[in-house]
Formats: sequence, C-alpha cells, structure tokens
Amino acid sequence: MFAAQLALNALALGAAYALVAIGFVLVLNATTAVNFGHGDTVVAGGFLAVALATLMPGELAVPGLVLLPAILALMALFGALMSWLVYLPIRDRPPVTTFITTIAFGIIIANGVNALFGGAPRSAPTLIGGGGFSAGELFLSRQSVAIVGVSAVLIAGLALLLNRTQLGRQLRACAQDPEMAQAVGIHLTRMTVITFALAAALAGAAGLLLANQFFVTPSDGGVLMLKAYIAVTIGGWGSLRGAVAGALLIAAFEVAVASQISQPVAEGLLYVTLFIVLFFRPQGLFGEPVGQRA
Amino acid sequence: MTTPLLSTTGLSVAYGGIPAVAPLNFAVMQGDCLAILGSNGAGKSSLLRGLIGLTPATGDLTFEGVNITALATADRARRGIAFVPEGRRIFAGMTVRENLEVAAHAATGERQRRRDAAYDLFPQLAARDRHSAWQLSGGQQQMLAIARAMMARPKLLLMDEPSLGLAPAIAKDVVAALAAIAADTTIILAEQNASLALDVASNAIILDRGQQVFEGSADDVKNRPELLAPAQARAEARGS
Repeated sequence: MFAAQLALNALALGAAYALVAIGFVLVLNATTAVNFGHGDTVVAGGFLAVALATLMPGELAVPGLVLLPAILALMALFGALMSWLVYLPIRDRPPVTTFITTIAFGIIIANGVNALFGGAPRSAPTLIGGGGFSAGELFLSRQSVAIVGVSAVLIAGLALLLNRTQLGRQLRACAQDPEMAQAVGIHLTRMTVITFALAAALAGAAGLLLANQFFVTPSDGGVLMLKAYIAVTIGGWGSLRGAVAGALLIAAFEVAVASQISQPVAEGLLYVTLFIVLFFRPQGLFGEPVGQRA
Repeated sequence: MTTPLLSTTGLSVAYGGIPAVAPLNFAVMQGDCLAILGSNGAGKSSLLRGLIGLTPATGDLTFEGVNITALATADRARRGIAFVPEGRRIFAGMTVRENLEVAAHAATGERQRRRDAAYDLFPQLAARDRHSAWQLSGGQQQMLAIARAMMARPKLLLMDEPSLGLAPAIAKDVVAALAAIAADTTIILAEQNASLALDVASNAIILDRGQQVFEGSADDVKNRPELLAPAQARAEARGS
C-alpha cells in the first residue's frame, strides 16, 4: 500500500516536472539555446496562482483548476514578452548571449517575486480541494490525482497541437530546419514567439501544480531549471517524449530515495546520476530520434 | 510590352562581404524556364538563395512588378516564389504528408486537393504518405522536395541542382516531372548537368565565377556547346 502511495506521489511530481521539461525542450528546439530563466518562469506561475487566489473577493477558496485557464493565458503573454525581451533582439549573436540574457531575466523574476511576496514559502490553492480517496488501506491524495490528470490533459493537448494542426506542423518545421521553414512561407519570428508563449504557459501550469503540495519560494527557479535540464539530458536532448520520460524517472528516483533516506540525499544522488548519464550515454537514455524535434 | 514575372537590376549576392555573384541584370517572363548553368562554384546556388532571400543580396529584385528586395524570405514565399534547395532539405522528422501540408497555406480542403495533385505527379510518394521523410530514398526525397514546393501553388519555382546525387534513371524521372511542371509554372533551374537542364529550359544564363558570361535561348547553348567550354575546362582543371 505504501509503495502504491509513493508511486502516485512520484507520478504527480513527475507529471509536474514533465510540464517544466517540455517547455524547456520546446524553446531549446526552436532557438537551439538553453533558456536558463525557465525555472524562474515556473516560479512566476506558482506565485501568479498565489496572487490570483488572494485577489479573489473575501478570500474565496477558489480551486486551482478554476485559476488554471487564467494562469495559462497570462503566462503565455509573459512568455511572448520574454521572447521579445531576451531572445529576439539577440538571436543572431552567439548562444552565450542568450544564456546571459535568460539568466539575467530569471534573476529579475526571482527578485521581483521576492520583493512582492517575500522569501517565505507560499502555497497555491489545491486543484480540486484537499483530502483524498480511500480504497481499503490505500489512500490516494485528491491533489496528486488532479496533478496527474491536469498534466496528462495538457501534455495530450500539446501533442494534438503539434501533430494534428497546421500551427503544430509549422512549429515543428521551424524546429527542424528554420531556414527551409522560412522558404516554405513560415514566419520564424511568429513561431518563436508562440513557442516561448507555449513554454511559459506550461511552466505556469507546473508552477500552480507544484505550489500546493510542494510549496513555492522565489529562489526555487534554479533547482527547477536543473531538474528540467537533467530530465532532458536523461531523456535525450531535444526529444519531447524523452523529456516526459526523463521527468518521470527523476521524480520516481527522488521520491524513492527521499522516502528511504532523505530529500537532500535524493537530490545529491540525482546529480551523481546526471554525471553518470553524461559520461556513459551523453545522447540520453532514449537518444534523439531522427528529426523528431518539435 | 509585357511585364516580366521576375527581373533583377544590379542584383549581387555576397557572404559576409565576400562577393559570390556580381551584379546581374536579367528578366524571366511568365511561362519561361530559365536554366542557370555553370560549373561548381559559379554562383548558381548563391543566386537562387539571393532570389528567395536566404542570402543577403543588393540591387533590385522585382516580382510581378513589385520591388521585393526588402521582403523577408517567408513573405517572398507567400507571394508565390517557391524554392527547392540543393540537398533537398526535407523536414526529416515529419511524415511525407506533413512535409506537403506544412507548405500549403490554404484551408484543409484545398490542402488535400493540392496533396492529391502532388501524389498524381509523384505516385511513389502516395504509397509512403505516412512514412517519415528520412525513410525515403534519395530520389524520393527529391520528389518530396519538389512536391513540397508545388504545394504553395507557386508562380515561380526556383530549383537548385535537382539531379545532384541521383542515379541516371531517377534523374530522368525527376526531369520528366519538371517538364510537366514547366508546362504551367515559371521555373529558374540551376543545374551543373547542362544537357539535362537544356532539355527543359527555354532560356539560359551561364555563370562563371560569379559573373554572367552568356544570356540567350536554350537552343543557342545547345547549338554552341563551346559556350560552356571555358567553365567546363576550369572545372576539370580544378578536379585534376
């Protein structure tokens, strides 16, 4: 029973990490640059959820699921703004320039959130309320089930967008060959802005999902960014499926080790695992499928 | 007097200040098939890249009477210029169908009609509709690159070395398709294989080290093979 509950916790954590990692990969594929501010975007989403919840009249206990559409929309706008500020003006310069601008943007987010909300951990509302379901000795947290459900819906929605719509095909074409994408009439700048918007929307959703069960502080961005980086490295650089698989694996690893030893040991061993993967299988466990970029 | 579909005035192409094509003046009329001939390094690919906007060009470029010199590549494509690059450059991770559909900026029904027309032109692609493009043979990839360009219903098709790297039999199929396309689409065809290009072309320009050394009818070049001789001699000398 205990193992089943741990598995559900791991699945919930992994599902939220998957949203973070997918957003990271989307921008990576579209720009070939690492967005070091991506973790801080997750934090921004978490605090946006906190802010929206407290703005409700009379401190109404609004479920996170009700806030989700607003968070997705506002964070998409935030992502579009981010692309205009930190990527598009310097896209023709060496990648190191993007590293610096995204790091700087992440620091601005973290400090801005700190100034507005303070440094203490904050909690966003649950998605569909607290408590859970009991099945014999097994207790399933309602929040964990909701995190898995919401993540699954968002990931499925993204998959449908990328694989079944003309916009999705255009986004994938830009990720695979930006020059030829332009030659077939696709506006690269527009697609880049949409990619940043999608990535930030998913990051915002992840912020909402994580900020209840696991709390959120302004300084969480760095760790979240590293988790996304590890998930993508394990799963295969540039692969969306690999990012999801990597996220689920690192969450399972973290929950298992933390339950048996401690959270700090789990995090430490995670980085050891990253070194091992980089050393023995730098292409990731699943490699990068030929041209599967999106 | 009829307005040319495309005309250049002093159009030159350079890579980071290094000239690849010296200022060129030429015009392509609606329905023409213009062959750009010359040896490797003559500037054929650079010229086509300059026309579609992938490589910076200076001078004036007019398409359907409108100066498009300042337009971005995507806007030139949307105006009706399609490009089949050297090396095919298909979207390898996408299926054959996706490669075609992504290039058609039209409603779903129209996209489907265009896809059916592409499969009529290249039946081999129809059988591989759901296959990933990287799984296709070289010849099929070239067919896909041409079919993808045709999905935009272009007014002008720029083709760079469509026969490069293909077995002679496959190259023949590609040329047959080109001839069919040339019946109702204006084409600029850059090709090292002059005899192949001249079978399809109505007019020709010969480039030699970025300079235009001849402009005239395809028949002139066919009847006076010595026109290509200096460039061929230089290419052979480089190869030896």
